[in-house]
Amino acid sequence: MKLSRRSFLKLAGTAAAASVLAGSGLESKAAAAEAIRVHYGREVPTICTFCAVGCGIICHVQNGVIINAEGDPDHPINEGSLCSKGSSLYNVSYIYDAKGRPKPNPYRLTRPLYRAPGSDKWEEKSWEWMLETIARRIKDTRDQYFETRDASGVTVNRTNAIAWLGSAFCTNEENYLYNKIARAIGIVNIDHCARL
Amino acid sequence: MQKTMLIDTSRCIGCRACQAACKQWNQLPAEETEFKGSYENPPRFSPVTWTKIAFREYEMDSQERWTFTKLGCMHCTEAACMMVCPASAISRTAYGTIKIDEKRCIGCNYCIANCTFNVIGFDQAANVARKCTFCEDRLAAGLIPACAKACPSGAITFGDRHEMISLAERRIQELRRAGNSKAEIYGLEELDGLGMMYILKDGREDAMAKYGLPENPRVRTSAHIWNVIFKPVRAIIVLALAFALWINKSESAKEAKAS
Repeated sequence: MKLSRRSFLKLAGTAAAASVLAGSGLESKAAAAEAIRVHYGREVPTICTFCAVGCGIICHVQNGVIINAEGDPDHPINEGSLCSKGSSLYNVSYIYDAKGRPKPNPYRLTRPLYRAPGSDKWEEKSWEWMLETIARRIKDTRDQYFETRDASGVTVNRTNAIAWLGSAFCTNEENYLYNKIARAIGIVNIDHCARL
Repeated sequence: MQKTMLIDTSRCIGCRACQAACKQWNQLPAEETEFKGSYENPPRFSPVTWTKIAFREYEMDSQERWTFTKLGCMHCTEAACMMVCPASAISRTAYGTIKIDEKRCIGCNYCIANCTFNVIGFDQAANVARKCTFCEDRLAAGLIPACAKACPSGAITFGDRHEMISLAERRIQELRRAGNSKAEIYGLEELDGLGMMYILKDGREDAMAKYGLPENPRVRTSAHIWNVIFKPVRAIIVLALAFALWINKSESAKEAKAS
């Protein structure tokens, strides 16, 4: 085969172009192989339950299982940032073992637990039993210690035997209702866990 | 494009959201530790702790100071770990960050012994060295590192190096106007530029006591010697050793046969 100077240059150019193309093809393949681990997760927005600030969080859910949770950049309150508690919200559901594989958090509460007075262990109870017992005991305690007048004869209509603690896990509206019911039954010792 | 993280010690509130976010994203388990008299926890870097806040108390201008500094792999330009790695497992990525290839790592601990900032941890179970990856997977997906995203006080900013430098210079002017006359940048010139740049609110004097950072970070002379003299011929050394062992083995086999 006769190879002129021109055709040699052409050939060399084509070879160089081909190798560049092949190289770029390989690169894109390598990049695709390292897809981010939440790539196929569905994004579910939620609110952090730890305090009263109410930061926005995005949970990544794959096949019905939460795989990651991080700050929601579109949320007006936190704009994507989170504190140390919010950053570890995922660990409420799953914690990592030594090899970095998620396993269900053994300390997560999924059922109501009851510890009887004087007992040293928790028992599982149903929600119905819980709500009924709580209502019964609030009513009994209130009736037993209800005072209509204090020592100087001023009408007070209160019970000092119960204290009520609100929760940051509830919404503003729920906490408003709790405040209403607490005051309606005469509780005056009302506080909130996120009081600053 | 060279990426850089700018850490502003005048803004850090020590909440450790970056630490928690790092563990969460990189799927690192928690470590059991005990109280040692400081809120700094865990006490040192490990294969499952890639970033942590240094809590430092000191006195300056007859005032008690309490400073929080986020530490981690600095992704140095003059990286001692990369120099000494005999297996070529440590490389620089397209983002200018340092990466340990766990498949190539032979667990020799050279990088850990030579790291200027003591931030590499050794995983004994897997026999590999582990450290901050600068969330390379997130960068590839167009996200910023988990720690920088989590920071609620704006102490961590992440972006292109030249942008971070101008941002740092603006912030230094701001701090000086506000009366912090000693404020200065760290990581601009150190080891030819660090991937983590700091704004030191109280100056670099006694940096170890104030921020847990070495005042003048240097790559050890032994690392340079290893890099220049021995590393290029390491294949020859290994082959020579293998050959010597083989000769030795065949000789002793002969001797065993003879006797």
